[in-house]
Amino acid sequence: MNDLTLMRKNLWRKPVRTTLLLISIMIAFLLFGVLVSFNVAITDVRTAPNRMVTLSKINFTESLPIAYYDRVLHTDGVLAATHMNWFGGYYQDPRRGFLAVFAVDPDSYLRVYRDDLHLTPQARETFLHERTALLVPRNIAERYGWRVGQHIPINSNIFTNGTNGGHVWDFTVAGIFETPDGNSQANSVLIRYDYFNDTITFGKDRIGWISFLTTSATVNDRVAHAIDARFANSQDETSTQDAAAFNRSFAAQLGNIALVVTLVVGAAFAAILLIVGTTMALAVRERTKEVGVLKTLGFSSGRVLRMVLGESMLLSLLGAALGLLAAAGVLYIFSRINGGGGGGGGLHLYPSVVGVSAAIALALGLVTGLLPALSAYRMNIIEALGRR
Amino acid sequence: MASLFKQVGAVTSMNVRSIPQRAAMSIASIVAVALAISVLLFFLALSHGLSQTVEGSGSNDVAIVLRDGAGAELNSVVTRDQLNIIAQAPGVVHRGQTPMVSGELLVIVDGKKRSTNTNANMPFRGIGPEGLALRHNVHIVQGRMFRPGTNEIVVGAGLLREFSGFEFGRTIRLRGTTWQVVGVFEAPGTVFDSELWADVAVTQSLFNRPNVFQTMRVQMTSPAAVQSLKRFVHDDPRLQLQVLSEREYYAQQASQSTNGFTIIAWFLGVVMAIGALAGALNTMYASVAARSAEIATLRIIGFSGYAAFFGTMVEALMLSALGGVLGLVIAFIAFNGRTTSTLSSGFTQLVFKFELSPGIVISAVVVAIIIGVFGGFLPGIRAARVRPQLELAAQ
Repeated sequence: MNDLTLMRKNLWRKPVRTTLLLISIMIAFLLFGVLVSFNVAITDVRTAPNRMVTLSKINFTESLPIAYYDRVLHTDGVLAATHMNWFGGYYQDPRRGFLAVFAVDPDSYLRVYRDDLHLTPQARETFLHERTALLVPRNIAERYGWRVGQHIPINSNIFTNGTNGGHVWDFTVAGIFETPDGNSQANSVLIRYDYFNDTITFGKDRIGWISFLTTSATVNDRVAHAIDARFANSQDETSTQDAAAFNRSFAAQLGNIALVVTLVVGAAFAAILLIVGTTMALAVRERTKEVGVLKTLGFSSGRVLRMVLGESMLLSLLGAALGLLAAAGVLYIFSRINGGGGGGGGLHLYPSVVGVSAAIALALGLVTGLLPALSAYRMNIIEALGRR
Repeated sequence: MASLFKQVGAVTSMNVRSIPQRAAMSIASIVAVALAISVLLFFLALSHGLSQTVEGSGSNDVAIVLRDGAGAELNSVVTRDQLNIIAQAPGVVHRGQTPMVSGELLVIVDGKKRSTNTNANMPFRGIGPEGLALRHNVHIVQGRMFRPGTNEIVVGAGLLREFSGFEFGRTIRLRGTTWQVVGVFEAPGTVFDSELWADVAVTQSLFNRPNVFQTMRVQMTSPAAVQSLKRFVHDDPRLQLQVLSEREYYAQQASQSTNGFTIIAWFLGVVMAIGALAGALNTMYASVAARSAEIATLRIIGFSGYAAFFGTMVEALMLSALGGVLGLVIAFIAFNGRTTSTLSSGFTQLVFKFELSPGIVISAVVVAIIIGVFGGFLPGIRAARVRPQLELAAQ
């Protein structure tokens, strides 16, 4: 019988108490896992450092003349550029959620987002040549049950289709693509700009924004300056920034999510720190006599200390593991429900969250076990055996 | 029966007076309940404050006209022809010869959020000459109203508190034109308090949307007249439009904005309450264990098991009630009445206050009581089942 067995037996001698402690630890890590993953998903959209966007200086919802695209493309330091329009799309019923549908120029889009979309060569060819082609990320295709080759009507809550007078356009699914983890295109449904521009009744020959790559991130500032200076004092002034900065400021519009997450998670951990800490202290106090017996049998004080600390570590690691498991389940359910434009697409438990959780669990075990362990360490045999 | 009450009273007062002996665990469980309650209150107050602001914006006798199926202002289109037809509808209030209608155009411009210094979407609303008169409870508190036909802006006081870039007297360049902020208006507790207003005709021409409105607001003689305007529009094939009273419109917008926050409130609140419950159960089991000799003695001298049960129950309820009260105190001090802003369903920033309501306070109290009842029940049963002889022999 080694010390680990003894720790395990100690931990489970009061199964109700241990189960209750595990539940409360589990809950703190469940909240941590879910909330921090949400925050990461919203704020930490991964983009290449040399990816930039040119938007209207007034606001990103204002459009720009299409002529700007060529000028940006031919600016010194720009490697590749493409333009995109927000379509305001939804499928059948807007109450089922909105789709992030973008009208793009296929050729240049597939060049700028070459590393972002995993696409079959056939899907690529179809999107390049079929006017009504539609590209869908896997999570959305699964959510709506769409298959390649299927005809899909998509509504716009902004534009009117000049060919039928309504707000609906017909598309054919050209391909279903996958994106790397946390990619900016994870929820993008793509349609062709030429089809869009030829059929809309207003806003023709305008583009939403220009997305481009610079030759290297070191020239970003210079390129941004050159582009914005070029359009200064025109009807449509621009604001050029790197895509990561734009994503961050967009996420900040929702509110200070990071602060709210910190406060809630902090409250949860403060609560379990108190609960687990006081209960561990009680557990060791109850075992005073046993500690006396162990020491009488020749267990060193150091060994007794390690055993109490080990027990609290075991408890908090076990609770953390259960909590993260629950968090992964909850996040999976959320990403299923919210697969559409809500940004819940690629939501899952991030490895970084698991790493930080492990560190917190160790710290929690240490802090809650330290005082009881020290009191066991200092306990003197005569007193321990005599005390009731 | 009377003796049972007496017994319960005696045991309870003994329990409560002995709480200080178990101070650490009792405090831990009070704090855990308090934290769970304050997280619940935080999100409920946020959701309630947001919904009060949006709902408080509409009146019953003003009709809002949108494109059929648009759902929100930003997606709507109303043409000048349609506007003119509706202005002639029965039930529209006239001031002298002019019908009190306002064709409006909402565009989004960037402001800077003061707390983070990042760009944020500001609603920039072009309103017709009757636009101000159509909104009750709006008044200019600094400067004056914009003059029709000029590039002048008035700004809501709420927007100014949270966002910079539109201070009184400032000039702003938009679309190659200079605009001046000539006034500040107050529209307390409404969405308008976080808007910028300018002349609609100027807005249309400078934002390149000639003769296009998004919405139209119409002052009707009575709430009933809003209903007859609905029929009027429905019966005219030229008008593929939707008519709502302003109140109906903002009630819809409010539920869209706040449903998410209410779900978050209850998800986090319930999850944290379960954690606090686990803590409370532990505390109460420990309390029963610590008092087992005392309970055994009481049983031998004739106290019933019920007394032991209720004594434990009352102790648990007291701890969770204290936690609930502490949670409410935290809520009132830390965030009730504070101003904040978020992206509303209209895709623009909306400034509002955290607001606790009697209903919210009651839900918090109920949650605390539920934690107490569950936290006391099983330990109470264990207390009632203490077997005196065995217990005392073991000591």
